[in-house]
Amino acid sequence: MDPERPLASWIGSDRLEDRVVPTLTLILRTPGCSWRRCRMCSYRHEQHGTLEEAERLVRGQLAWVENEHGGREYDYVKVFSSGSLLDPGEVPPPALDAIGDAFRGKTLLVESRPEFVDRERVAGLAARVDTGRSANPVQVAIGLETTNDMVREKSIDKGFSFSMYLNAVREARAAGARVKAYLLHKPLFLTESEALMDMERSITDVSPHADLISMNPCTVQRNTELERHWRQGAYRPPYLWSVLSILLGAQRHVSADPLGGGRRRGPHNCGACDREIVDAIRSYSLEADRSRLVEAMAIPCDCKREWEFVLEHERPYCLPLTR
Amino acid sequence: MRLEIRSRDGLARTGALIHDDQVLQSPCAADVQALFPSLSSRFLENVPLSAGESFTDAWLVSGNEPHTVHPASSLEVPRGEALMVANWNSALANPAAYVRYLVALKERLPPDAAWYAPAAAIPSNAALLAWSGFDLFDRTGPDLATAQRRFLLPEGEFKEGAMGCGYCDCPGCAAGDLLNHNRLALDRELALVRWYIRKGRIRDLIDGRCRHDSSSVAIVRLIDQHYQFIEPRTPVTGPIPFRANSSEALSRPEVRRFAERVLSRYRPARTDTVVLLPCSARKPYSVSRSHRLFANAIRGRAHEVIVTSPLGCVPRETELCYPAAHYDVPVTGHWDAEEVAVISEILASYLERHGFRRVIAHLEGGALSVARVAAERAGVSLETTVVGERPTGDGSLAELDTALDGNLHRHEDPLRGLALFQFDRELTSTGLRVRGRYPDIQYLRNRAPLFGIDARLGSLRPSFEGWSLLGDAYRVVIDDFVPQGDILAPGVLEGDPRIRPGDEVFVVGPSACATGRAAMSLDEMLRSRRGVAVRRRKVMKREH
Repeated sequence: MDPERPLASWIGSDRLEDRVVPTLTLILRTPGCSWRRCRMCSYRHEQHGTLEEAERLVRGQLAWVENEHGGREYDYVKVFSSGSLLDPGEVPPPALDAIGDAFRGKTLLVESRPEFVDRERVAGLAARVDTGRSANPVQVAIGLETTNDMVREKSIDKGFSFSMYLNAVREARAAGARVKAYLLHKPLFLTESEALMDMERSITDVSPHADLISMNPCTVQRNTELERHWRQGAYRPPYLWSVLSILLGAQRHVSADPLGGGRRRGPHNCGACDREIVDAIRSYSLEADRSRLVEAMAIPCDCKREWEFVLEHERPYCLPLTR
Repeated sequence: MRLEIRSRDGLARTGALIHDDQVLQSPCAADVQALFPSLSSRFLENVPLSAGESFTDAWLVSGNEPHTVHPASSLEVPRGEALMVANWNSALANPAAYVRYLVALKERLPPDAAWYAPAAAIPSNAALLAWSGFDLFDRTGPDLATAQRRFLLPEGEFKEGAMGCGYCDCPGCAAGDLLNHNRLALDRELALVRWYIRKGRIRDLIDGRCRHDSSSVAIVRLIDQHYQFIEPRTPVTGPIPFRANSSEALSRPEVRRFAERVLSRYRPARTDTVVLLPCSARKPYSVSRSHRLFANAIRGRAHEVIVTSPLGCVPRETELCYPAAHYDVPVTGHWDAEEVAVISEILASYLERHGFRRVIAHLEGGALSVARVAAERAGVSLETTVVGERPTGDGSLAELDTALDGNLHRHEDPLRGLALFQFDRELTSTGLRVRGRYPDIQYLRNRAPLFGIDARLGSLRPSFEGWSLLGDAYRVVIDDFVPQGDILAPGVLEGDPRIRPGDEVFVVGPSACATGRAAMSLDEMLRSRRGVAVRRRKVMKREH
């Protein structure tokens, strides 16, 4: 098997069962997402090989990872592709089996759209990973984005409903897997306050139906519909103040990765206070220490008045008020 | 909300916004959420200006006043109700898109509705927005600036500290109240905007205001470039003087229209010899000292054309037409490359089109360079008659006189020039009686007045008898009624698509005919349900 480099792979830290553990994150090349319509997603341009070549491609990447990271300690593996690991039309069953085998004994997270979360498939994967070390060795991550079907359709064009997500949760849990919900903070066409309320509501609504919640503040990725609107001045990523406010208001720990934080294409404030707030959010995501959020929220920056004004006065017919 | 337009100036208009028992002088800033409480209950309705047709069709929500409109949507707006161009605030930083959206919206949506631009206006862009044809604004802009600690002036946005510089003594500044200052600054600028629109001078204000912001300059230039869109909306007569003080003057619709009419409507009565002459500060040219000297030398022995910036070339017979007798330019003696290029192009087309046997340039300096470039492009040889430095010098005048030896005498006919330029109709004053002193003259046949020249407006004013010589040019066809006063837009059935605001028109209907001046373009007459279409001068009942 020729080793083949994945799109990305790195060892970092992540939160698992209330501990911070070394984690391998792996983004695999696959034939790509079967949906490819989401307005903010640039991964839809990642298409590698045909379905027939997919197994060889996946095995090659696993071999590369073994060469690269085989000697390193890690307990948690998170595997992504530009689509769904559980989609047999993207990752053929033997390739999924190979992934399970490669990370036997670890906790394995795989991301998938809900329509591909099938209890047999998840159970099969769990059987390969399971060594009895963990009660729930497999986590299924689903990009639910929001619990509001109208927002998901209009602002994202995601192509599934909250009820389809709930069905996927039942399937995954029946197979003994845990479920991680990804939420998207401020997709297109929302005011700052609509986006904030959308996340508050989504966290509340999804809580009984997710073991882990991660909220991604939206970033402007290249070659997307979102980028086109952003270039026309029709979109502004969320304020970091909003991110803080949502995390602080949540009844449970919600992690957030402010990718591109402080940059024009990512969640940002005025530029002066951004770094400190991004650090606080990252730290909270990992350590779950609320005091970091409380401290960050108390940073005395002038732009907080602007954010408060925008929350109150930005309306769906005059957005964005700021850049 | 109803809009009663009192004056139009291009896309801009001023008048009254009438809402329940409130009357607001427009354009103005108001608490729009209080005027339209339904605005507060709009959620998740955003459709950005950059959205395409299918997204807009699927997601645009309309039905409540002010009615949301979108450049890619074909949704209609109920008559007499206000419309809102949602997210117009996001267009300002994007000149090309701003103009593209504006053209699409203005060409489709009712011109007589109140146009609301949400969260867009601050003092430094209020004139531009009003010039673009918006009537109603809110105070989100000044209030946001206050939250950002910015001090707003018509000249731009400054840090809060500028408040202490002593420039403004409004009650807000006196009390150190930034919010109050920012709101008052917007109100004050809009009061000035209304005054400029009433005077027909909004372009003068814009030409100055836009300089503080590159996007504003770009928007002005791009709208000028949309000539087919802006020209029909531009009045045929305008402010006096016509201030051609910026480099954009060359592309202003009035200037381009003048050149196009000279080239397409006007034709010289003789093509044996053309003399190219310099312009004069005093207008019309022929009453100036220098042109009286030229006239003495030429004595009607050639076709006369004045070479000038920014108009290009002005045949003597059209020297009264707006803005030839009305423009003012900064005189430095220097012609820049853009002027030379644009004006020589116009002159070359004129020379090519009419095939003059001799072309005499009685010019010096930049104007002479223009003539040389034009002659070369047109493939004609140029005779020059200026000796030494000055066209008005004795030597130059003698040279010009001699050059025309043997040419036939034939006097220029202002009636002919004006009729061609204004109505695209060839008339002659031969056989008519002329009364008055140029340029304020009247043409009569027997004792009946046919045409008067309104030198101030630069136009010909036909009587009923005069209109009978103009065929069906510039007619407005009305319904079966006898106008008791001005003719209102709903009464207009059809007309000459060449009609622009300010044009002399002939109104005809089954029961009456009338003379008057158009208050709007024909297109706007047909698309409006209210407002004065033609200011009536005289009316005559017709016998059935």
